[in-house]
Parts: sequence; C-alpha cells; structure tokens
Amino acid sequence: MRTKIFAMLALLGILLTACGPAAVATPQVVTQQVIQTQIVEVTPTPGPNPEAVIPNVEPNATITFWTYYLSPTFDDYIKSTIARFNQAYPGVTVKWEDHQATFQQDLNNAFAAGNAPDVINLSVGEGWVSDYATQGLLLPLDDKVPQSVKDMYFPGLWKEQLVKGVNYQFPWYQSIPVELINTQIYTGTPQTDASGNVTYTGGAGLKVEDFPKTIDGLPALCQTIKDKTGTLCDIRLSVNDLLSQMVYEGNVKVISDDGKQFTFNSPDAVKWLQMYVDMVKAGTVDKTALLTDQDRVALDLFESGKAAFFQTAPNLIRDVRANNPGLYGYLAVAPLPLGKSGVIAKGSMGISVNAKTKYPNASIALAQFFTNPKSMLEFAKIVSIYPSTPASYDDPFFSAKPVAIEDSAKPLAKGIVATYADIVPTIPHKTDVNTIVLNAIQQALFNGVDPQTALNDAVTKANALLP
Amino acid sequence: MGKKFMFTPYLFLTPALLVIGVFVLYPIVAVIYYSFTDYSIVTPPIWTGLKNYQQLIHDTVFWQALAHSFIYLLVTPVLIFLCIILAIIVNRKLPGINAFRALYYIPVISGSIAVGISWKLMLDTNGLLNGLLLSLGWIKEPIQWLAEPAYTLPIAMLLTTWMGLGYYMMIFLAGLQNISEDLYDAAVIDGCNAWQKHWHVSVPGLRPQITFVAVISSLAALEVFNEIYILTGGLGGILNSGVTMVFYLWQQAFKYHHAGMASAIAMVLLIITLAFSIANIRLLESGTETES
Repeated sequence: MRTKIFAMLALLGILLTACGPAAVATPQVVTQQVIQTQIVEVTPTPGPNPEAVIPNVEPNATITFWTYYLSPTFDDYIKSTIARFNQAYPGVTVKWEDHQATFQQDLNNAFAAGNAPDVINLSVGEGWVSDYATQGLLLPLDDKVPQSVKDMYFPGLWKEQLVKGVNYQFPWYQSIPVELINTQIYTGTPQTDASGNVTYTGGAGLKVEDFPKTIDGLPALCQTIKDKTGTLCDIRLSVNDLLSQMVYEGNVKVISDDGKQFTFNSPDAVKWLQMYVDMVKAGTVDKTALLTDQDRVALDLFESGKAAFFQTAPNLIRDVRANNPGLYGYLAVAPLPLGKSGVIAKGSMGISVNAKTKYPNASIALAQFFTNPKSMLEFAKIVSIYPSTPASYDDPFFSAKPVAIEDSAKPLAKGIVATYADIVPTIPHKTDVNTIVLNAIQQALFNGVDPQTALNDAVTKANALLP
Repeated sequence: MGKKFMFTPYLFLTPALLVIGVFVLYPIVAVIYYSFTDYSIVTPPIWTGLKNYQQLIHDTVFWQALAHSFIYLLVTPVLIFLCIILAIIVNRKLPGINAFRALYYIPVISGSIAVGISWKLMLDTNGLLNGLLLSLGWIKEPIQWLAEPAYTLPIAMLLTTWMGLGYYMMIFLAGLQNISEDLYDAAVIDGCNAWQKHWHVSVPGLRPQITFVAVISSLAALEVFNEIYILTGGLGGILNSGVTMVFYLWQQAFKYHHAGMASAIAMVLLIITLAFSIANIRLLESGTETES
C-alpha cells in the first residue's frame, strides 16, 4: 500500500515537474519589461495652443501610451513631450510605459486580456501595423483626422501601410538606411611614408566612394573582401518579411492583381534568390547573420569589428560608439545600394490607436502630438532620426553641415524620406506565407534545391492558403 | 453511526489545491480546449474541432521536431554515465576538493541564457573554437558551426550535457556518500579491483539516484528550449535542424500566433511526458518492491 501511495505521489510530482520549470532547461522568453510608468499632469496654459489640432478631445481622459525600446535613453524627451501635450490638451492624463524585447508578446497578451494600451508605437518596417489592423485591433484614422492634419505628413508615409486602402498609423520617426563601413577591413589601415604618400595595409584596398550603387554589385564585392581579407559579408535577409525584401530588392510581383494567386516564382524572383544562393555557394557571406531572426546578431557581428560593412540606420551608429569606441574612428558611410524597384525603403515607426479605446479623440491627439513637426524636430535633435513631417526640415538644424558621421545623411534627408513608400501589396496570411517562403529559401540556400523548384513549391503551398 | 466529516484536513489542503488548480489544472483544461480551436491570442478562439491535430499529422516540421526531441533524450544516458564517473572522482577526501566540486556547479547557477550566449560566442565564425582549430592547422577556413544543419542539434545537446553535469553529479555524490564503506571493504576482500568495486557496489547503491536523474533529465530534455533559442538566434536552426517540440510550440504560439496549433502540440507533448513518467514510476515501483 505504502509503495502505491508513494508511486502516486511521485507521479503527481513528475507531472508537476513536466508542467512546471525543469531543472536544466525551461522556456523563459515571455518576460515583461515595463521600464517606466509615468503620469504627468501639468497646469494648463490659457489661450489656444497651436499644437492642439484634434477637436473634441474627451475631458479628463486617462490614456496609456506604449513605446518600443525608448527608455531610459529618451526618458527626458518623452516626459517633456507629454508635458507639452498636457499644455495643449489640458485635463488628459497620459500613462507612459516602454516595452522592449517582449514588446509584441506583451501587446498580444494585453489585447487578449482586454487591457491593451490606447496609443501604441508600432513598427511599420516590421509590418506590425498591418498585422494588428488586419485583425481589427487598430482604429482607422482616415475619417477621424482632419485633412489639414493629414497634410502635415509626407503623402507616401501617411499611406505607407494601408490595409484595404485605409490608414491606421501616424507616421513617426524615420531612418535612412546606409551602409556602415569598417574601413580597417574595407580599405585597410593607412600608412604614411616619409614623402607623405598614404598606402593601406591589411584591408581589401577598396574605396568607400566605389561602394556598389545597386544590389547586383554585392556578390562581387563580397568575393573581393573574402579573397583579400578572409572576412565574410554581414548581410541579413529579412526573415520575418521576405516578400517585402523580394519586392524592394528584386522588384518581384509577389501576388496577382486580383489577389487570387501568388506569383513569387517569376523569373525576377528566381534571379533575386539565385544571387543569394551564389553568395552562399561561394562562401562569402556569414550564414549565421544571413538568416537570423534577430537583427542584433548581424549588428553585433559588425560592432565586434569582424565585418567590412553592415546595412543599418544612422541612429544605430551610437551603438557602435558605445560598444566599440575603437571602431567608431574607422567608420565610413556609403549610400544604400538600390534594389531593382528603385525605392529605398518603407517607413520605420508609426503610432496607432487601439480600436477599443474609451477615448479615441484623446488617443488620436496624443499620437498626432508625438508626430507633429515640433515634437519630431526636438527628437531629431537628440538622436539621428528623421521626421515624417516636411515642416520639420525647415529648421536650420537640418541644413547645418554635418559634423558627426551619424549626421552625414542629414542635409539630404528630406528628399530621401519624401520618396519612402510601401510598394508591397497586402499579403493574405502573411505570417504563414512568410514561413513557407523562408523554408523555400533555406532549401535553395542550404539544401541544394534549385531556386526555381523551391519557389514553385512555395507558391503551390501558399496558394493553398488562399480561398 | 456514520463517520464524522473532518474539515481540518481539507482546510490544510486548500492552499495547495488552489495553487494546483489555478496554475496546473486550469491551464491544462484551457490548453485542451484551445487545441480544438483556431486561436491567435489577440482575438477570441473559434472552435475548429480536430483540424489542428489533422494539420499536425501532415506537418513535416512537427515530425522533425518530434524526432529531434527523441534524439535529445540521448542526453540522459550520457549525463548519467558522466555524472557517476565525476561523482566517483570528486568523492575523495583531498585538499581543495570542495572547490573542485563547486567548479562543476558553476554552469548550473549561471543560467542557460548566459551560458548559451557564451557558447555562441565561442562557436562563432570568428570565435574561440575556430581560432584554436585554425592555429593548430586542423582547418583551413573557419567553420560556421551554428549555421551548419548537421551540427545544430549535437551542439545544443552538448551544451545541455555540460550544463547539467554539476547538478546531477551532486545528486550522485550524495548517493555515494550514503553507501557504507563496509560494502567496499567486503568487495575488496572478495577480490574486486577498483573498477569492479564501483560496478558491483557503487552503481547498485546509486539505483534510486539513477532512476531519479533519468526521470528528471529526460523530462528536461523533452522540454529543451533555451539552448535552441539562443544558439539559433530564435530561428530554430537552418532547415529546422534544431527545432524541438517545445521550440516548435513556442514558434507556433508566439511567432506565428497559432495558439490553437501550439496547444495541440502541447497536448502531444503532455501525452509523451505522461507516458515517460508512468514508465519511470513503474520502474521505480518495481525496484522498490524488489528491494522490500
């Protein structure tokens, strides 16, 4: 009898062990990081405020605002902007939280629990706006925002992530992707002889100004760098949004106009994939960085001084300066090589409003306030981001001659940001289709499957998801 | 006259039952329900019957993940063997032996995320291992260890084994110290050499610990996640070479937002762990009865 009781207790214990944390390895990814909760109340100033452009803001509204990876670096900026917001819209209380690595998991949990924030900072680049808007979780803005307010933004950015022709975000800060170059590898270490002639040793002997202007030039460049320095190229495929990359880089038509079948097995798509297949076969790219899920992996590789170049935004140069100051002095910047689409990129960040907010006007007001020309200009002055509002660029700050390498794109920024557009059509079952494409690309890159066959198979599987 | 109902035992049991109910029973029931639904976490679940299970049957990645999880179980015998050897080695009264034992325990208290990152740096294209092999002239150019499908799972298993060594060694060490010296003396008198002494005395004496470690480490192996996540940068390895059951469950739930499918995978995993547990209990029970 005792043995049986013991056995039953042991079974219960083991079941609990199986359901609970194990001794050696347990999933611990879902950890919330609420960095800051801020309630700012300011005595209102009398008279109309030129920044108060949203009508009928609900009195005494209390709204929650979530940002992504901005605390603690930008605490002062966020707090002072909220204080200005309270002057423009007195009586509205803003609770600010910054979420970081677990942002999306926290947001999903909050939506599931029915306590999602009223105002949310979402990445346009990662497709989060369309992901949440498609599920009916975001407030459509077109009919709720006065035309005069819409006109404050670059037209391409206001329309940069439409879902069924409707906009769900205020375009926020933008970045200008550049190629950041480690001249120690790319060019070499400069040596000056007695007569003042400069020669370069230990590098690939390449000139920054000769960096390829189009993406077709990358395979040859990587081959040269590998041959001369033994270093692999730090290139990353957007594993979470591969169809987007196909569109921008390869000008691939990914879905038919009527949306009834996928078409990413076209000659353009095969040619695009073949370029990466050839680079993998030649052994000129770091495969770990090429297909990582985390952009930090590729950034860390560059920051550690082991890569010749890396595509990034100027605002991340501060990371290089902070983590490897010795490398910072050897940095150079080249314009991003253009893909066949001729469009540099879509926007970076937006601010959206929860469809179920109790205070839609106050929430719209806050989202608009953070993205207005003044708020964006103030933000741009403390970090190398670029406003989504043309008026911000009228400030002398943008016409001043750049001093730091982070600011090198500043004088040209307005013209570049004005060209940003989302040229990727709405993809049904986007996450599932992306997974199918990722598997096809892996088969072609690492399993010897012909790119045409891999993409044909992927299209067949993706089409099966369509009604 | 009927027995008087006793409230007191139930009063004492209530806190534990509440905790088990809220944190174990309710989640299990919820997962069973979600496994029959199409559920994206952010929107309400929609009943779909057996669709998730039917999809699992035809999902090649699921079968790959299942196979990887079973392959991962190889960690258990390796761990038991190595830990017993280590426990025998450190079970000596030598100067500084406690420091030596503590060294083995450091990976256990370091945390799998920190250890995973260290290993990743070590196995990096420009990492320590490639540097060593290049300097020895054993390879001509760096191997991208973590990008080679054939290496992903073995590296993760090696990491799990290395991390578990200290923890399980301590369990065997405690077991060894409970074995009477008289048994070893008797074995020597019977003509056993050092190897035979441990084979005939230490190993049988460690039977309860071996059973315990087998159960715990095999369940941990079936639930492996952190090592895979860190080593593969959240991708699961090229061509899904490192995807295990729990990793695939996580991918479905939190990356693809298919919580219904993830719940179906969790149910399969629950059945497998339950089967393992029952098998191990039977083993334990038979051993106890034989001894008694």
